[in-house]
Amino acid sequence: MVQYFDHLPVNPREDLILYRLGYQKHNTSLEEVHRKALEAGLREGKMICQIRGAVGRFRIIARSIEKITLENQAVLDSKSLAHLLAQSDEVVLLAATAGTEIVERILFEINQGDPVLGVILDAVASQTVDAGLDYLNQLFAKMLSREGKKLTKHRYSPGYGDLDLSAQRIIFEMLQLEKLDLTLTEKYMLVPEKSVLAIAGIEGVS
Amino acid sequence: MDRSFFRELISKQILVLDGATGTEMQKRGMPLGVCPEKWVLENPQVLAEVQREYFGAGADLVYTFTFGGNRVKLEEFGLSTQVVEFNRELAKLSKEVAGTTGYVVGDLAPTGKFVTPFGEMPFETVVEIYKEQVRGLLEGGVDLFVIETMLDIQEARAALLAVRESCTLPVIVSMTFDETGRTLTGTDPVSALLTLQSLGADAVGCNCSTGPADMMRVIAAMKPYAKVPLLAKPNAGLPKLIAGKTVFEMTSVEFGSYVPGLIEVGVNLIGGCCGTTPAYIREVRQKSLGVTLKEIQPAEFSGVSSARKTVFFGAKHPVTIVGERINPTGKKKLQEELRGGKTTEVRRFALEQLEKGAAILDVNVGMSGIDEKAMMVELVGLLSQIVDAPLCLDSSSPEVLEAALRVYPGRALINSISGEQVKLEKLLPLAAKYGAMFILLPLNDQGIPEKVAGRIEIIKDVFCEAEKYGYAKEDLVVDGLVMTVSSDQQAAQETLKVIDWCAHEFGCNTIVGLSNVSFGLPERAWVNTAFFAMGIARGLTMAIANPSSEMLMNLKRACDVLTSNDQNSQAYLEHFAQSSTGDKGGTKREQSLLSSEERVFEAVLKGERDGIIELLEKAIGEGILPDKLVNEDLIPAISKVGQLFDEKKYFLPQLIQSAETMKKAFEYLEPLLKTSPAELVKNKTKILMATVKGDIHDIGKNIVSLMLKNYGFVIYDLGKDVAAEEIIAKAKEVNADVIGLSALMTTTMVEMKRVIQLAKVEALNCKFIIGGAVVNDQYAKEIGADGYASDAYSAVKLVQNLL
Repeated sequence: MVQYFDHLPVNPREDLILYRLGYQKHNTSLEEVHRKALEAGLREGKMICQIRGAVGRFRIIARSIEKITLENQAVLDSKSLAHLLAQSDEVVLLAATAGTEIVERILFEINQGDPVLGVILDAVASQTVDAGLDYLNQLFAKMLSREGKKLTKHRYSPGYGDLDLSAQRIIFEMLQLEKLDLTLTEKYMLVPEKSVLAIAGIEGVS
Repeated sequence: MDRSFFRELISKQILVLDGATGTEMQKRGMPLGVCPEKWVLENPQVLAEVQREYFGAGADLVYTFTFGGNRVKLEEFGLSTQVVEFNRELAKLSKEVAGTTGYVVGDLAPTGKFVTPFGEMPFETVVEIYKEQVRGLLEGGVDLFVIETMLDIQEARAALLAVRESCTLPVIVSMTFDETGRTLTGTDPVSALLTLQSLGADAVGCNCSTGPADMMRVIAAMKPYAKVPLLAKPNAGLPKLIAGKTVFEMTSVEFGSYVPGLIEVGVNLIGGCCGTTPAYIREVRQKSLGVTLKEIQPAEFSGVSSARKTVFFGAKHPVTIVGERINPTGKKKLQEELRGGKTTEVRRFALEQLEKGAAILDVNVGMSGIDEKAMMVELVGLLSQIVDAPLCLDSSSPEVLEAALRVYPGRALINSISGEQVKLEKLLPLAAKYGAMFILLPLNDQGIPEKVAGRIEIIKDVFCEAEKYGYAKEDLVVDGLVMTVSSDQQAAQETLKVIDWCAHEFGCNTIVGLSNVSFGLPERAWVNTAFFAMGIARGLTMAIANPSSEMLMNLKRACDVLTSNDQNSQAYLEHFAQSSTGDKGGTKREQSLLSSEERVFEAVLKGERDGIIELLEKAIGEGILPDKLVNEDLIPAISKVGQLFDEKKYFLPQLIQSAETMKKAFEYLEPLLKTSPAELVKNKTKILMATVKGDIHDIGKNIVSLMLKNYGFVIYDLGKDVAAEEIIAKAKEVNADVIGLSALMTTTMVEMKRVIQLAKVEALNCKFIIGGAVVNDQYAKEIGADGYASDAYSAVKLVQNLL
């Protein structure tokens, strides 16, 4: 069963947004003009990002040290993922997106508007969509704890390690992400750009 | 059992509930993976035995075995058509066990789906799902209802409305809070209590997830605001996973030792959840015997809630600002957006107002050309998720208000109910049904009384009617009805008299819409602020206002100090400590000592884009040559910026701000330089930028292009998803010196190699630089690129080094 969420109540951590922009708390010095631009950008970015998400739970029906097979016969080829899911009988697939408006605004500001605002919005959007994924991850972990189960400590995204980016197609289809107005390109890229997918294992038997 | 009997029963004794039943069923033979409800109906003696043991242990009430008896849960076993039958038969089974001495509680539990606005299941669908289950339980003869183990306040509301709209039996709502003290979807105990007791719950409480110690904290938080009895049904401590099995290690004796403490903090109904057995309930019964019952003292407070926050207000609280800006009147852009179904401005107004100090947000979407009801429901959903602040639902239409109140996941404030007969008849029952507070407008069918005496009569009349629906004075807020002083200068005084009377004689909260008072006058902020101060002095507790007015908000902060409602002046001190910006005068004095050239250098260094042209004009006016300004001020300044960025003393926005300042300065000086503009362009390095074929990521590449442009390079940006052939053709056409390629994915980085190979075939003489999340130095070497840049400034340095 896949569940969809239209307005995830996420609050991205400002320190992580600043980190993305290269800010170091005890090193970077800010003039008033920069501080104001930063504050305005953070406010604007948080306002424009509309975080939507999807979560689904699926059974692992076969496994080897090199791959796992999910209930719809979808095969995820990855030794490191298979290792991560060694103690799992099920997986949770997660997706979060910041929507199209923020991406359009970032490009407008960088190309024709205020580039300083553009790069700040870019960092806010990246951090906010990650925060959306974190939120869903925690939400699902809490739900699982009621069954005496837990999520794997780490989650994995296609394109990292030996999990090929083409796995985005598998997650996209299993979560039916067109319902979040997402599309996937031939080269397995998510549109809009500020969108992320992940997979985690469910461990523990009650 | 009727509701008054339930109140009477619970006022005399601690009611003991049952413990875990599902796990008891498993211990006695129910296999895993079956539909529990169906299995019990096929093996009724097992449930009867467990429930008899619970009654024998001292339970006053047992829950029906219908935790998974809703349509959504039964659908998992293909049994969704048997909801009514299962619930009826299971209720009958428990009733037979209870006989005439025990009570049976119809059990409603989560569907497992999330409800709008958080999830996707429509609110009304969930109400209908629970109504179906309620019908079966009523047919089976349950004595009262419990809505238990609720993880989401909105689902709890749906279930509560389902019971309330189906029968008059008492209903208990029990939420599940984790060890952080919040539900799965973020509701705190006080907000849950306020929302549920005002919506008609006869008791509120918590079960599952935590043990008795954590639950004691939840109950203690609820108690000061509880107008209904409180329930606790803890787990036998926290679960542990031992040898693949969930184990609760707390013994029945230890569990029972918490009972006096739970009663002391205010619990009226106690039972057990996961891990508990009849032995635990026996301990609960024994430990509750002889413990003095804590009398329920209805607290007097005024408060509204959202799904995640409660705002209290009143005479002993700081003046509360209700943000007025989400209202299309006079706001063309907002009107256009709402007509187009967009919500950007609404989100902007919401976040800005809260940042400026509003505690509650007024939401009004009354305008022509839109479906007000649909838009109000949409905005209530949106705002309930993106902000924590409670909402003030503002409409003159009962239909719009009912639709909004139904889906609002908290206790709302209604704006407003007047003494007009139609409004009273339609809106009062509506407000009462959903437990909302309301703003009372002292006008009636004869209009607005000019003098205070007439307004007082209407206030008394409306309150008299409201009392019939259970309203107390603290549940309403009187609008002083501000009229404009430009047409009647006495109008403000009459409003102040209403505020005074409400505060000091009648004893209720007051609110004013500040901006009305100054309509038609110049410099309205002065009049508004003065009137606000006069209102606060007479006892005003709230204002509908635009919190962006610094004067207004600072006055409020100062008044809160002077009325002692800002304890130890804490909020005042915190606000002004934050807004202190240091010695600006000192900086100005330092700057005035700098020469014009030094000021140009400083402007680039600090990214002062707006003032750079003025500084250049001044320097040139003093006879400084443009070439000298470029070579001795601008270039050293931007180099210094680069150095600071490398040292992490500057971060990316500062780098770009300075580069933008540099670019603006250079564009101004270029026509004045000794070298002709045409020659300058000819001598400049030409860089062609592209995101490779198949890759649609544009943002990172655009930031690099921008930075290179600001450092004086000529940029030809081909965009994203660009074929190798197109890149090479364009490079030939413009005679590019450098080609910059971007790729963000492993699937598209290989395309970089194809571009470089094609360039070799075409004998193109230019350098290649690459960048993107998945590439690095090593990959650059592998594919024959001349370098890799990790960020925009690295790209600038890389190009400078290559040339």
